[in-house]
Amino acid sequence: MTELATAPNHRSRLRLVDVVSQALLGLTSRKLRTALTALGISIGIASLISIQGITEANQAEARAEIDALGSDFLFITAGTGITEEAELLPYAPDMLETHLDALEYVAALYPVDARARKNELIPEVQTGGVTVSAITSTGLDLLEPVNGSVAFGRFHDATSVEVPGVVLGSLAAERLGIRHLVGHPTINISGHQFAVIGVLNEFETLNTDLNRTAIVGLSVAQELFDTPDTPSAIYAQVQPEQLDEARDLIPAQANPAAPGEVAVSRPTEALEIREVIDETFARILQALALIVLAVGGIGIANIMVISVIERRGEIGLRRSLGATRKHIASQFVIESTMLSLLGGVLGVVIGVGIVLGYAQYKSFAAVIPWYWLSVGVAAAFALGAIAGLYPAWRASRLEPAEAVRPAA
Amino acid sequence: MSWRVTEVPAVLELRGVTKSYDGDPPIEVLKGIDLTIEEGELVAIVGPSGSGKSTLLNMMGALDRPTSGDVLIDGAVVNGLGDSSLSGVRGRRLGFVFQQFHLLAGLTATENVATGLLYHGSSARERKAQAREALTRVGLGHRLDQKPGKLSGGERQRVAIARALLGDPAIVLADEPTGNLDSTTTGEIVELFLELNQQGSTIVMITHDPDLARSMPRVVEILDGEIRLDQVATS
Ligand SMILES: Nc1ncnc2c1ncn2[C@@H]1O[C@H](COP(=O)(O)OP(=O)(O)O)[C@@H](O)[C@H]1O
Ligand SMILES: [Mg+2]
Repeated sequence: MTELATAPNHRSRLRLVDVVSQALLGLTSRKLRTALTALGISIGIASLISIQGITEANQAEARAEIDALGSDFLFITAGTGITEEAELLPYAPDMLETHLDALEYVAALYPVDARARKNELIPEVQTGGVTVSAITSTGLDLLEPVNGSVAFGRFHDATSVEVPGVVLGSLAAERLGIRHLVGHPTINISGHQFAVIGVLNEFETLNTDLNRTAIVGLSVAQELFDTPDTPSAIYAQVQPEQLDEARDLIPAQANPAAPGEVAVSRPTEALEIREVIDETFARILQALALIVLAVGGIGIANIMVISVIERRGEIGLRRSLGATRKHIASQFVIESTMLSLLGGVLGVVIGVGIVLGYAQYKSFAAVIPWYWLSVGVAAAFALGAIAGLYPAWRASRLEPAEAVRPAA
Repeated sequence: MSWRVTEVPAVLELRGVTKSYDGDPPIEVLKGIDLTIEEGELVAIVGPSGSGKSTLLNMMGALDRPTSGDVLIDGAVVNGLGDSSLSGVRGRRLGFVFQQFHLLAGLTATENVATGLLYHGSSARERKAQAREALTRVGLGHRLDQKPGKLSGGERQRVAIARALLGDPAIVLADEPTGNLDSTTTGEIVELFLELNQQGSTIVMITHDPDLARSMPRVVEILDGEIRLDQVATS
């Protein structure tokens, strides 16, 4: 007899396409579980991408605005002083001008103690939040340094600042119910009728205060309301090369007694600072997104371990059909990887959707963060593979006899 | 039976197989089993619950290794093989039928049967063609595209039997294949095994039902891990 001969080599073989099809089968036979588990990864990846996309879109917009503004404007405001009077600058702009010949005065804003409402029948509280400011005939170029534009009507001219006429910020116009100039609408400012001559476009990033402002002429304001002689903000222009010098000199000259109460800033500066803050904030959020992603990965590992326990019989069957330990292990690793990848792709779609939606909503140019898309997909891939290792190992260690035994 | 000693080895042979499980003292479940199954046989292994039938089948099917003794398939000792070769033997030379069917819920009857060739590396097309053929053989030609959820217990077991037949194994090992079925269906499944045996399949069927065993050409009775009776029907 030929006993004790070596066995003919019966080899198990699993096609690559079937490695994938079996893993897919595991996922499609448990659709709800697959969807919920993948969602964890999706949220992480979508956050990662949308945070990046939104930040980049904001930065692109900020940079465009910096370019539009030019960097040679200065905003001179009463700093946040200790005293309440510090809201006003101690000098009128023409007085300041004499100190610095390089400084070219553009415009100044004077705070007016008055309330705007649509008409006398409407209580003031309902149009709350609208502030009144005044400009002089020498400040007609205000829109230039603040990068503003007129939505309809026109801005003040030399005539309109001498009569009760008003230009409204976008939000002020909305609150006062001014949608057009047909029929020559008027508003009521502390009991006096003012003709609306124009409405400004919305300020989106800088000077958003102006959205809530009703701008009147200074001489009219001083005649009718309690209005100071000195402004709260001066908008000036300097030669770019004298920018630093001007910044150093202006506070001391504008308020020798308390130079600390004068703040001089470039409008672009705020944007630049915000860019840095946005960047930092984005990194913090992305760190959080990475944590979400890691939790998603743990979720996958967890589900896969449960799956191995639940599918003991299936593993036993496959072993009886000729699956080797490696076949079983690869099935679970690939299942886990595909599960994570599914979440990753879903996350990319959601993330890009958010980025596009945000750009649409803000009327920004959409910035698709391609680098982060690939990082997201690669992260999902790696996470799934790693999360699948331990469950796959457990599945492959299961003895066939143990696996096919009916559950007690 | 000396006339059987030829160059053609037995399909399956156990020689002094024992199996103990860890414990204090160790539990000796199989106590020296000698058993030979020749090609074309239909053997019932019968015995009370806990007598060691499933453990014996696990030895025969290379699903587990004996503590001592040898398991020969096609005349070659398999208990010393590594995982890869042992899996190959299971996939190519053995077919299994389990009491709880072990069908994949997400697959149709044809797809389930086709998994019988999955680890042979055959193409999906070839697997399906053979699966349809096998299903027809077990009388399920009209249920090819049903998922297990839509099939009766008897039909599910037929699907599992068709799967075990795929790839033309040397021997089909069934562990209480009728354990989850009513008596009518049990009769039908036994009938199917007899039919398949007539067509040439070598089958070992485990049961704890002595009545059922009586209809089989050969009955091996096992008690407390030992063969108590090995009887060939005289008809
Ligand atoms: N993995 C195991 N560990 C310990 N004891 C086991 C194991 N498998 C089976 N047994 C014991 O071996 C005996 C025989 O079991 P089994 O072969 O399943 O019997 P049968 O199939 O005849 O009912 C039982 O007492 C059972 O508890
Ligand atoms: Mg049993």
